[in-house]
Order: sequence, then structure tokens, then C-alpha cells
Amino acid sequence: MEYEAKLEDYLGGHLSGADARELAEHLQRCELCGAALEDARASVRLLQLAEVAPDPGPAFPRVVMARIRSELETGREARGLWQLFISLAWRFAATATLALLVMVTVEVAQHQRPPAPNVALVRSAEVRDLFTTDADRIPATRDDMLLMVAETEHGSH
Amino acid sequence: MSNVPKSVAAQAAAIAAPLTRQSRAEQDRDLVRQAQGGSEAAFEELVRRHQQRVFALVNGILRRREDVEDVAQQVFLKAFVSLRRFDQRSAFSTWLYKISVNECWDYLRKKKVRPLVYESDLSDEQVSRLDGIVSRGRPAEAPSDRAEARDLLDRMLATLPDQDRQLLLLKEVEGFSVEELAEILDLNVNTVKVRLFRARGRIMDHYRRRIRARGSAVNSPGAGERKTTL
Repeated sequence: MEYEAKLEDYLGGHLSGADARELAEHLQRCELCGAALEDARASVRLLQLAEVAPDPGPAFPRVVMARIRSELETGREARGLWQLFISLAWRFAATATLALLVMVTVEVAQHQRPPAPNVALVRSAEVRDLFTTDADRIPATRDDMLLMVAETEHGSH
Repeated sequence: MSNVPKSVAAQAAAIAAPLTRQSRAEQDRDLVRQAQGGSEAAFEELVRRHQQRVFALVNGILRRREDVEDVAQQVFLKAFVSLRRFDQRSAFSTWLYKISVNECWDYLRKKKVRPLVYESDLSDEQVSRLDGIVSRGRPAEAPSDRAEARDLLDRMLATLPDQDRQLLLLKEVEGFSVEELAEILDLNVNTVKVRLFRARGRIMDHYRRRIRARGSAVNSPGAGERKTTL
């Protein structure tokens, strides 16, 4: 592998000094390398037949710039439509987000406020208190009952 | 000027060549900076300076003359679009040639282009003509002969693996150096040399097989089978 690289250098005239002398001596002894180098030289002659790239011509840069301008213009138009769509989409998303935020805030505020006391229930409870009797203290006599009512009256004032 | 010995002129040219390359690279850098700043004229100048090499590279890889210009235009379009991201750490030419190679691969992948395989063999006359060129370096005289010889070479090139064919064409036909090829194709310099040398052996093996297939006892440089593996 090292010799193939060296032979390629030798073929191109890029091997100089001691390396070139060493390889020239080797080529005199080694038939395989000599034949390979001869093949390589023949390949150079063979490839000289190949057709080189066509000439771009003096107009090519102008053609390229015209194409670039045209592509940029097309891209700008496409981007313009896309930008409009994106802008509308953003507005819609922003409005929806704002509405959602308001709804959530209202809902949270409602849950955090202590519930308003139900006047009807409080009233009925108070009224019930006047008449509910302690089950353990059921008056046994008429005097006990009068005493109980008197205590209740006294407590409420 | 005619009195200047050839060796001195060659030395001067050898010294001037890298300097010219260097100044070209510096001019490229300036033009790139201007183009990055929005100057279309600067980019147009970059196109003018590199169009021939891009054509050569694309032609060396695709070998389809009818598509070379279209792909080359695409290369410069991509370069224009990506220019703002180019940080100038490598030479503009290297960056551009890499875009060219990628564009060629994309093109081949999209179009699913495969090299044409030529089944027909050569006539005795064709073999004799080709052999005159290869073994004795005798150029084809008539344009029709040259066209025929090119066609024959294309047939042989078509049978080579893609990379072998591209390396040979880029080096020998389009004039890229081993170092440039290594940089463009992201390969080690030594790897390029070895692959090139093996590719040379392969195309000559193929050439000999063609000649032997015709049963022609042509006095070619490799009339006998040769092993190219060292």
C-alpha cells in the first residue's frame, strides 16, 4: 500500500531526492512494480481521450444570478402567504389563551372564597334551638318545664 | 523572455503558483465578506472565478454533459443561500467544491442514474486505433476518430466502480490535484493516492480484457495479463 502511494507520486513527478532514487532502484529489481507503473502511465494516455467539462461561457454568472433572484422572489412570495397564515394563527392562539386564562381565574376565585352563609338555614337553626330540648333533660314535672323555659329565655337574652 | 532558461522559468512559475493561489484565496475571502454583507456583484464575481472548476467537478462525477450546467447552477444557488453561515475557516473553493460533490450525489440519488453498461465489443479496427493511442501515445487525427476513441473510453469507464471512475476523471481529465481531491472527498491524501493507483490498474486490466476478447495480438503495453496488486 505504501508502494502504491509512492508509485502514484513517482508517476506525477512529486517524488524527489532520496525517495525517487530509492524507488528507481526498486523498479529495476521489481518486475511487478515496473509493470504496474507502466500500466499507470498507459492509463494517463488513455484518459487523455476523455472529454473535458463543457465551458460555462461568459453568460453563466448572469444566468446564475437571475436564477438566484427568481428563486428568492418565489421564496419571498411563498413566505409572504405563509407569514399571513402564521400571523392569523398566532392571533387566534393568543385570543384563545386569553379567554382560557380569564375562565380559569374566575373558576379559581370562586373556589377560594368562603361560601356565603345560608340565611334560611341559620334562621331555622336558631328557631330550632328555642324549641329543641335536651334529650337527657326531659322535664318530669310542670315546674321543671317552666324552669327550663325560663333558663332558655334567660340564655337568649 | 525567450532567453530565460526553461528551468529558471519553471522555477519562477513554481514560486509564483502558490503566491497566485494565496492571493486568489485572499481575494475570495474579501468577495465572500462583501457577498455576506449583501453584495450580489461580489457573489457574481465568485461565480465567475469558480464556474470552470465547478463544471469540471460536476462533469467528472456525473459524466452527463446535458445535466452539468443545471447541477452547477444549483450548486451556486445553494452556496448563495448558505453563504451567511460560511465562517471562512476553510477556503471558499473547498467549501464550494464540497457543496458540488453533495449536489452531485443528491442528483444521482434522485434520478437513480446508473452508468450505462455497454455490451457490444470493439471491432478489430477500433482496437487497433485505440491501441495506437494508448501504447504509443499517437493522438487520434480525425475528429471522428477522436469521438470514437472517446466513446470507447466511456464504455470502459462505465464498467469501473463509481469512485474509481470519478477519481481518475477528476485527476487526469479535470486537473484536480491529489490534495484537492482528498479535501473535497474527505479522504486521507495517501488513501487517494492508493485508490488512484489501483483505479489505473483496473482500467488497464479492463482495456487488456477487451483487447484479448477480440483475440487481437496487438502490441499493447499490457498484452499479457498483469497483476496490479503489489
